[in-house]
Amino acid sequence: MAIIISKKLFGKMAEKTVKRKHYLIFVIGALASILFLALSKKGLDYTSTDEFCAACHAHPHADATFKLSVHNSNRSGVSAKCVDCHLPPEDQPVYYLTRKAYHGFHDLYVFVTRDPEEIDWAAKRNDLAAKRFVYEDGCKKCHTNLFPSTLDPLGAESHLKYVRDPENNSCIKCHLNVGHYRGEPSLTMEEVVLSPEEIFNEPAIVTVFEDYKEQIPGTAVSFNMKAVPGGQFNMGSPADEPYRRPDEGPVREVEVNSFWMAEVEVTWNEYLAFFNATSSQGRTEADAQTDEEVDGISGATPPWGAPDQGWGMGSRPAITMTHHAAQTYCRWLSSVTGKKYRLPTEAEWEYAARGGTEGPYFFDGSPKNFERDGLWNKIFGPDTTGINSFVVYQENSPYRTQPPLLVRPNPFGLKNMLGNVSEFCLDYYDPQVYAKYPQGVVKNPRGPREGLEHVIRGGSFKNTPKDLRVARRDFTRTKEWLETDPQIPKSIWWYSDCNHVGFRVICEYDTDELNEKKPKNQ
Amino acid sequence: MEKNQLSRRNFLEQSALIGAAGLAGISALSSCSNKSKPVDYEFPPLLDKAPDGEKLRAGLIGCGNRGTGAALNFLAAGNDLEMVALADVFEDKVWDCHSKLVKQMVEVPKNNCFWGFDAYKSLLEVDLDVVILATPPHFRPEHFDAAIQAKKHVFMEKPVSVDPVGSRQIIATSKKAENMGLSVITGTQRRHQRDYLETYRQVASGAIGEITSAKAWWLQSHVWFRTREEGWNDMEYMLRNWNNFCWLCGDHILDTHVHNIDIVNWFLGKQPESAIGFGGRVRRLTGDQYDFFSIDFEFGNGVFSHSMSRQVDGCANTLGELVMGTDGYTNCKNTIFNPDGSVKWQYEYPKNRDGKSTGIVEVSPYVQEHIDLVTAIRTKKPVVEAERTAISTLTAIMGRTAAYTGQKVTWEDMLNSTERLGPEKYEMGDVNMDFPVPLPGTQHKA
Repeated sequence: MAIIISKKLFGKMAEKTVKRKHYLIFVIGALASILFLALSKKGLDYTSTDEFCAACHAHPHADATFKLSVHNSNRSGVSAKCVDCHLPPEDQPVYYLTRKAYHGFHDLYVFVTRDPEEIDWAAKRNDLAAKRFVYEDGCKKCHTNLFPSTLDPLGAESHLKYVRDPENNSCIKCHLNVGHYRGEPSLTMEEVVLSPEEIFNEPAIVTVFEDYKEQIPGTAVSFNMKAVPGGQFNMGSPADEPYRRPDEGPVREVEVNSFWMAEVEVTWNEYLAFFNATSSQGRTEADAQTDEEVDGISGATPPWGAPDQGWGMGSRPAITMTHHAAQTYCRWLSSVTGKKYRLPTEAEWEYAARGGTEGPYFFDGSPKNFERDGLWNKIFGPDTTGINSFVVYQENSPYRTQPPLLVRPNPFGLKNMLGNVSEFCLDYYDPQVYAKYPQGVVKNPRGPREGLEHVIRGGSFKNTPKDLRVARRDFTRTKEWLETDPQIPKSIWWYSDCNHVGFRVICEYDTDELNEKKPKNQ
Repeated sequence: MEKNQLSRRNFLEQSALIGAAGLAGISALSSCSNKSKPVDYEFPPLLDKAPDGEKLRAGLIGCGNRGTGAALNFLAAGNDLEMVALADVFEDKVWDCHSKLVKQMVEVPKNNCFWGFDAYKSLLEVDLDVVILATPPHFRPEHFDAAIQAKKHVFMEKPVSVDPVGSRQIIATSKKAENMGLSVITGTQRRHQRDYLETYRQVASGAIGEITSAKAWWLQSHVWFRTREEGWNDMEYMLRNWNNFCWLCGDHILDTHVHNIDIVNWFLGKQPESAIGFGGRVRRLTGDQYDFFSIDFEFGNGVFSHSMSRQVDGCANTLGELVMGTDGYTNCKNTIFNPDGSVKWQYEYPKNRDGKSTGIVEVSPYVQEHIDLVTAIRTKKPVVEAERTAISTLTAIMGRTAAYTGQKVTWEDMLNSTERLGPEKYEMGDVNMDFPVPLPGTQHKA
């Protein structure tokens, strides 16, 4: 057995050696000639002539297109040489010689080994590809004045942009075709056209169960909804999960129907669309609870101060609205889009957050490693590389909300399930509710029938890793969160003392309704 | 150390090298790269009169009162200076200016007088060396570029544009002028005023310590306006009432307050990073502009400048600048105060016969500007002020945008903004434009 193997090995090695020999001869020969040429100035000059380049650069267009280009055919009578653009300037001798050697060797190799017909020349005619063989310093060696007197306003704008940010701009980005003329315009400048924000007239039309982008009619606001196919999962955390709390068990087998869930927590843009459309004058605290029958939805009264805490609105998650306000938002959203939006149940939330995973998080890692306790982590700091890219939490948030798209999604494509802000659920909170569900697989549980406080799920920018666990449960604290509201009655729309909770909407999936809609759009 | 950062040592070294040259111009455009280079010209010595030399022939574009005044200021700057051509959009303005100059014994050849939107092109074909640009600021970027392409030295009034696109065009043309060795002086006369310059020198050498905050204000009664006369089409009406239309004037936060903003930028050695502010319109009779602005400019590191501008009669009207430092403060114009309010240093004005301070500089700053221009040309030491004035203009535009929109506006926004005000084409006749007074933010529901 061993002999056979060694024979096989030997054979392979022998083959390799032979191949390598050829290769080596080729390399040594090439290097020697390059070295020889490099040693003599004459050689250097000779190998930089257009004729020398043309000897190999047999692809027929190179020479012809160059002759037609503005770098050869122009009013000044000055003609550039191949190496003026395709090598760095000679006043950077080391760079110049290494690039010259590289291109010489590379081009020779390609010339010998490949058929020019097979090379995709067209693919090299864009500014990114061309960066590999056109040298910006070469441009600037001759074109020393970026602001010649006849430069037009668009050119002036573009050159200013280049001066400000040379990393992300380049000469050939706009002047791509100046070296080889193929009938294209010599300037390939992108003119910036600002289109006004589109105001949506219609909500999104959904005919199949897949991701969609909802549009709020009458606004420029849209948001992504992810299709979450229903299924069965283990809800809660096993008794041995680090930092587990008693209300997270017993683990139950739970089944939920399919639904769509918003990719991110409701943003300020979305929430302000609701506020602007429904906000009411005066104070409607007393009668708002019973306005369900009224045609229009009367929404929040104006908040005091800055509900965004001065952190910025826009795409950051909306915060400080009450659970009641969040539910009113869902009713309003349903009425303007013709769909069934609501808060997720606790079971739906956990199912979506897990995305098929069963650990403490939807990504790898244990809270023990991430948490800043235990002797080792206290001294050396926890290794947070695993958690950092998925969650906005205490460690990386600096104690405030962050724009939602910074983090990586979970397996269902949902972002910030475990961080940025905690999220309201539909259910009332009961610490023992898992044990109270009937035996067997629990289908679409909705929590206790009655209660005072509601479930909130998912960690926030305030939490440390142990409270970011997917099974972690928490609940609203209405009285505490209105502590400093000086008005009587206290607001039913805005919490004065809670800035870490937001919410996420789900849209119910109703097969019958979808099928009804389908024919209309076909 | 980053060059546009403000530190006493940096200032000392720089000011020793370049005298009282403005540091504010320090390549604000390339603030994100380190390739910024300081304004490296040596400011011409402040002479009472420009040195003799080659004859300089000047043409005036924009024949209103300021243009006419600037023409006379130019002629007063030295010997062998001539006004040889006039241009304005309106014929009556040209002849009006012509006759005012005749009264001052200045005879401009009548065949060198041009009017119409393209009059400036005809003027640039006349054999002349210097062009004075004094039209409404809307037209400045176009006229300035044409003047530089025609290889003329330029004196131009502030503000130098009305929108971000125009400001950036001025900056680009300014670079052209530098490359061509031409001189460009702008009408930011405080920078040519000896008391301001000496005070700047004091502050730059550490008289008030590190700068911690600033304030600038231009609060005055209402300014001139024209109500529409019979027979004026839209364009003629707006041009004759240009000081009240934003696309022509840029609003008074540019038109007048840019002076104060320019001083703050100068003394702080950089332009602000962002602006939040507000404004409104309560008393104006014509046009589409605001009556008042209050802008908080943020310079970074906890340094702010509060900018106020107002044009309303019967209010607490005053104007000036104030810069606070760790070791005292200054009015920028002539006095350095200790932190307790006592005077630490004061500029010495010329004295009158009774030995009392006259309180004004020896040479009018409006003439000094032209002395400095002619000196730069004749001593072959070119000076180009256009970029730094464009930066101050763009700073004012940032404040205006913050007030008009209610948003926080950053310098980066200004460098990327595609806002260009005014009609596509200039022609006399009715103009299809709306002039809503800007309303910040959004309306809440009733």
